[in-house]
Amino acid sequence: MSVVANYIPRDSAVHRLSPLTKLGWSFLLMTLSCFFRDPLVLAGLFASIVLVALAAGILKEMYPVFKGLLFIAGLFILFQIFFISEGKTLFTLIPGTGIGRVTDLGLLGCLAMGARMIVIAASFPVLMGTTQIKDLVVVLVEKLKIPYPYAFMFVTSLRFVPTFMQEMDQIIQAQSSRAHRLDNKNFIKKFLSICPLAIPLMVTSVKKAERMAISMETRGFGVGKRTNLHVKQFRAVDAAVCSGMAAIGIAMVVLHFRGILL
Amino acid sequence: MTAEADCAGPAISVEKLTFCYPGSELKALDELSFQVSAGEFVGITGPTGAGKSSLLLCLNGIIPHFQDGKFHGAVKIDGCDTFDTSCAELARKVGSVFQDPEAQIVAPVVEEEIAFGLENLAIPPREIDQRIAESLELIGISSLRHRSTTQLSGGQKQRVAIAAAIALKPKILLLDEPTSELDPIGTMEVFEVLRRLNREHHLTVIVVEQKVNILVEYAGRLLIMKNGRIVCDAPPREVLERPELLTSVGLRPPPVGDLAFKLKQRGLYPGALPLTVGDAYQGLSECWADKGI
Repeated sequence: MSVVANYIPRDSAVHRLSPLTKLGWSFLLMTLSCFFRDPLVLAGLFASIVLVALAAGILKEMYPVFKGLLFIAGLFILFQIFFISEGKTLFTLIPGTGIGRVTDLGLLGCLAMGARMIVIAASFPVLMGTTQIKDLVVVLVEKLKIPYPYAFMFVTSLRFVPTFMQEMDQIIQAQSSRAHRLDNKNFIKKFLSICPLAIPLMVTSVKKAERMAISMETRGFGVGKRTNLHVKQFRAVDAAVCSGMAAIGIAMVVLHFRGILL
Repeated sequence: MTAEADCAGPAISVEKLTFCYPGSELKALDELSFQVSAGEFVGITGPTGAGKSSLLLCLNGIIPHFQDGKFHGAVKIDGCDTFDTSCAELARKVGSVFQDPEAQIVAPVVEEEIAFGLENLAIPPREIDQRIAESLELIGISSLRHRSTTQLSGGQKQRVAIAAAIALKPKILLLDEPTSELDPIGTMEVFEVLRRLNREHHLTVIVVEQKVNILVEYAGRLLIMKNGRIVCDAPPREVLERPELLTSVGLRPPPVGDLAFKLKQRGLYPGALPLTVGDAYQGLSECWADKGI
């Protein structure tokens, strides 16, 4: 969670872009990845994400995220590939038995699925890594007209993750100091042993939420129109980048329908 | 009372305030009446469940707007009846700081935390920026401006909460056990800040606190509560003169004042009772010098 959604402070051109531009970029990649089924084209899209991360100077931080995604995609392909029987057989896992048969269509299809998944998932951490959440919220509320309470809820839930982790640690310590066993081998018993942790956590969370609501109320939350301290301007660079992205996107889709890019 | 003061009226006026939480016949607040003038530093103390926190919630409008229950009587803040004034409007007059610093900080960065209330009240961004700088400066935590709120210590969090309340430029600051999670040094630091706000910026300060010794040192007036009633409303020195007031509600008189009180009963302490160790030292030095010690 913390790795995927963390802002990584750098002074790069990508960081300075408007959150709207970056949201558009993320959305464009998702849309394009749904059009194409050629693993090479999808790999190209992924390469563009890696390039953006490189330009933003956050490739080192993104490396474990990309590695994790590749691993998950690999597993995904492994689970799928043996169940597609159409197409020419390339090889079988145990020769002569037909068990673990891999076909050319299956291989291509699975590679495309995996690559598509990576493209869709990989732009999000780059977006979050280069955009401060407060800027993202301002754009969501001001430009995309998402109601402020929802955007606020999103930010606050991120703010409270460490608080609840701490709370959980305390509860675990308190319960294990009273001989509560967590390391049960039996799956059902293990599941049941979570209850004495979950219930206190829930109670304290509700109490915290109530206190927070009171504190918000005394500072005029939800009165009506509000202002924002920092508003990231949509600059000429953003307009240029957006029109560039739109042009590339449209070109790719046109080429796709002409049958050049699959 | 001058004509001008008369027109302004008291900062806080509470009249026959009674409040019961839903599902309870017990009166959390029982026919309370008192007034606080602008610029006072009032300490409220009493045993747990005396109604101290409920009283504060009545002063910032959470009761009756947010908390259900049976509400009788009237609370006027700066002349406005809290019953007819929304919490948000009251937020411009009354700043509140609560016990749990963790639960009242909503933003991930200190700067945004201070800006939260200002943004809600639609203050122009340029002024927000200015007010953030001012209030951080005032509390003495300018260096924390760009820090993440989750990484702060308890004392720092509590001071950020005070700065966030101060940024709205209230006339009255309410604090509910603001030092409950602080060490003695942190407690002193918070009270020093409150004293400065009170003296230099004429802010009316109302603080609920269990630590009587620190209240005696800083507050100009003490309210002692028990079972939803005010059992004593007097300056700290008068309270020290009658230690049974504190012991009868289950509080311990501050050791320094108590010692001086016992010495005075035997004629061994001159003048007014001391509020701090420094006062006591001076008083005793004088007394002993007279006796040639």
